Amino acid sequence: MPASPALTTPGPHARRRRVVVTGLGVLSGIGTGAAGFAAALRAGRSAARPLTAFDTTGYAHATGCPVTGFEPDRRLRRVPPGDLGRAAQFAAAAGRMAAADAGLAEADLRAVRCQVSIGTTDGGSHELDGLTAAELAGGPAGLDPAAVRRVPAPGLSAAVARELGLTDVEATTIGTACSAGNHAIGDGLDAIRSGDADIALCGGADAVCRKTFTAFYRLGTVAPDQCRPFDAGRRGILPGEGAGVLVLESRDAALARGARVYAEVLGYGLNCDARHPVAPDQDGVARCMELALHDAGVAPGDVDLISAHGTGTKANDVTEARAIRAVYGPEPPRTVGLKSMLGHTMGAASALAAAACALAITHRFVPPTINHRGTDPACEIDCVPNTAVEADLRVVQNNGMAFGGNNAVVLFGRHEAAS
Amino acid sequence: MMDITGWSAVSPYGVGAASFAAGVRSRRPAAAEPDPAGVPGAEVCRVPGFDPRTALGGKGTRAMNRVTGLAVTAVGALAAARPEPDAALVLGTTSGSVQSMMDFTRASLTGERPFDVEPSAVPGAVMNCAAGFSAIRYGLTGPNTTIAGGRAAGLLGLAYARRLLAAGRAATVLCGAAEECSAARSWLEHHARSGAPARLGEGAGVLRLEPPGAPGALARVLAVHSALDTGVAEVRRRALAAAGVPAAAEVPDVAALIGDTGAVSAVFQIAAALATGGGTSGRTVVVTAADPAGMTAAAVLELRPGHRPGEHDHHGRLVGAP
Repeated sequence: MPASPALTTPGPHARRRRVVVTGLGVLSGIGTGAAGFAAALRAGRSAARPLTAFDTTGYAHATGCPVTGFEPDRRLRRVPPGDLGRAAQFAAAAGRMAAADAGLAEADLRAVRCQVSIGTTDGGSHELDGLTAAELAGGPAGLDPAAVRRVPAPGLSAAVARELGLTDVEATTIGTACSAGNHAIGDGLDAIRSGDADIALCGGADAVCRKTFTAFYRLGTVAPDQCRPFDAGRRGILPGEGAGVLVLESRDAALARGARVYAEVLGYGLNCDARHPVAPDQDGVARCMELALHDAGVAPGDVDLISAHGTGTKANDVTEARAIRAVYGPEPPRTVGLKSMLGHTMGAASALAAAACALAITHRFVPPTINHRGTDPACEIDCVPNTAVEADLRVVQNNGMAFGGNNAVVLFGRHEAAS
Repeated sequence: MMDITGWSAVSPYGVGAASFAAGVRSRRPAAAEPDPAGVPGAEVCRVPGFDPRTALGGKGTRAMNRVTGLAVTAVGALAAARPEPDAALVLGTTSGSVQSMMDFTRASLTGERPFDVEPSAVPGAVMNCAAGFSAIRYGLTGPNTTIAGGRAAGLLGLAYARRLLAAGRAATVLCGAAEECSAARSWLEHHARSGAPARLGEGAGVLRLEPPGAPGALARVLAVHSALDTGVAEVRRRALAAAGVPAAAEVPDVAALIGDTGAVSAVFQIAAALATGGGTSGRTVVVTAADPAGMTAAAVLELRPGHRPGEHDHHGRLVGAP
């Protein structure tokens, strides 16, 4: 049931350029690259394992979803890996992967105006943790300048652009915490729609760090073993890491060069709860979904699948499920929690989920919510437990929510070449 | 294009647009002191007497860090003067409060248990704290975005804000930045610049942006352009070309007066242009920025004919200030 009559009317910019996804770069705990990631999503793989990024002595449990076997020397061609923090390495590697996946050579990218928007929660916090330990050991005067230069968050978007040799580029790092990936994709959408850029490389990246693990742990929101979104027995998140970068371009440009199109970006919405520093607000989240639907010119009944923010915390999942029902009525679309597989990859989370949405549309399947034992009656959604299902998906919604009440929702649609 | 219809500043000259305007018009350097962190060759220009609890009262400020206090104060000067719940907030930073982040990790490393940290310190150790708290305090439910652009943040924020306005995602954007002085920032920047002498400043500045033609416009943003690993002169040239103007006056460097204010530096440059009318050489001005991460950016502003810089209205407020 539409929450607002405005949702059934077309979006406000009927003549703007249509925007499509033509490339995906993925680094995650369950798979690398578009093909590897799609296979892992379909198989319902779990990235959960003991964290080794920092000394976990003294925590009762320290399970997370790290990226394993990442070799920056093999992934990066232009930027020396030693110049970058781990999150920036992830971002640059995913950016390179996305460009290659889109069939775009560096020369193709350099021939046009580009937008690079990379969302992050922590930027160089992993490196800052290391400097904090070094300061405790030897005082502030002896810190390693090279390590210091790996900290600033602007370095993430710069790393993506520099790795591809781009200079005629607006390179922006978006620091809106755990919805930053969707914020970045939305900015890329607007950059292409408006003509500010011809190609956008947008998404998010983060690396597991002591600071953020400890923050969630102290708030009682880190699960001991598995992340179980919407489950009656859910106990929280598993901190994860990775990067997702999408190549966006205008539909016309993509068709003209014969590019493979994963999906169309139909629209997005962003807003702020303005209520609580860390707790999500049902009305604010619902309003954000309505804004996205309106921007896309899509009615709620047209949406086939929701990729939830779905952190697996008590508060998030019930608030989000209620917000979904407020917008979609008593029979909402299937709603999956990809963090059951990926963990909570912070600023990369909604970007990796966006890549998953595009792959789900392309390969016609719904990735499952794994680790599921029994749905919380307070959540009341079909989370597609444990096993992927084949489905013909026309419109998929990707939710992102964050500390600070920063919500961002992106809608993807099947691209019909003939339409 | 878009118009600037108001601005606020919390700067080393003090809290408020009036003190900033008076300072930059007289070219009087703000008070500097030897860096209390003991960084060799470093001075700091702090916002005099600023404390979040004093500036904002006790409610909601117990665990508020300095950069959030600076941002909330500057946002409030515009948001309280003309409440608009749907307004967007776009706030620039470098990496958030590195002091709060390092304090949090230090507590984890030195506590009896590694999770003996203050829950109330969690939000301040995340980059979007300042924007989120500003929204909560003033009920700003529109788009809320933190731009981690370092010294280019103010101009990257302008480009982002322009897209929000053009797409109809907000009718008004409060667009600014905040940066704090802290021991952590002082030491990190000391090492990042290989120990060269420096004077760091702090503060927050916010511009109110509306679609072109807004009543009471102080200036029109004709163009914003940015690039990576590209000289400032080239980015300035491209911005002027995009604006369709042959030349524009440079705004005298504010950093010479109030120190390197990091993410706020470009916002303060724009505020200085608004406060001084662009100096003596023209009413079309260009503001440039460069961050060590590699971004360079330029914005071209046309100061509106009706705007008489430095004039005070009948409330004693500076024209251009809220």
